[in-house]
Amino acid sequence: MSSRILVALRVPATPDRAFEAFTAEIGAWWRANPLFAFTPRGPGVLSFEPGPDGRLPEGRLIETLPSGKVFEIGKVRVWEPPYRLVFGWRQAAFAPGQDTQVEVTFEAVGQETRVTVQHSGWDTVPADHVAKHSFPEPIFLRRHAEWWQGLLASFKMAVGE
Amino acid sequence: MSQRAPDNALDRTLAALADPHRRQVINLLRERPRPAGELAREVGLAPPAMSRHLRTLRQSGLVEESSPDFDARVRVYALRAEPMIELLRWLEETERLWSAQLTAFRDYLAKDRPPAIDLASAPEEDPRP
Repeated sequence: MSSRILVALRVPATPDRAFEAFTAEIGAWWRANPLFAFTPRGPGVLSFEPGPDGRLPEGRLIETLPSGKVFEIGKVRVWEPPYRLVFGWRQAAFAPGQDTQVEVTFEAVGQETRVTVQHSGWDTVPADHVAKHSFPEPIFLRRHAEWWQGLLASFKMAVGE
Repeated sequence: MSQRAPDNALDRTLAALADPHRRQVINLLRERPRPAGELAREVGLAPPAMSRHLRTLRQSGLVEESSPDFDARVRVYALRAEPMIELLRWLEETERLWSAQLTAFRDYLAKDRPPAIDLASAPEEDPRP
């Protein structure tokens, strides 16, 4: 769907190693991006924090700010090492209840691993309104996605990109 | 924060687009500007219901109304591109962000690759088929 971005890259590691590095070592490789700060008080250090009893599937992705404060970027929604990881994604500037979702998949390609990031933006916002129209959600999202595609394509042409 | 305004605008844009009738209106306006009465007929809504939807769309900034010079009573609705451009911008920023992060991730693995440990640390029970 068009309100979703998809970026894929091959990395020189097995899926096991890639999953481990992506999660346990995110603080070491993540590059703070001033144009895309989670909170204006950042940048801090990212980490996946385990949930109760040290369970990572119930954990969350957090940013620990220089002040020591913690900003929750999103909760882990799917934790399937070494294949798949899904977590919520919020920036401090998002409106309350507004949420996006990141899905990361790890796929062995020879000696390497293809890492694919899908960031679904804003779909959850209209989805919240779906219940009011009693649309079955998958159908709604599919129709909605097709509709977005057409609309965004025409606007892209309109802005000359 | 400078980010707050566009994000709230995005929120309004998406809330406005969450209704199927309003999306139909947007689709009709993609072809050309149309008067309110024509929109009500095409969508199959009573004029008061259409008025409410048009108000929501106007407040979100997705459409604007004007009257033709020859008749001030007629209100013609047209699409405004700005709210969608904000959304596109967010998508493009997000895409750039992830491209940069994944490149950093690849470089990190290339530098720190510990070939012996890859195998030694593999789980005993490999879940892969």
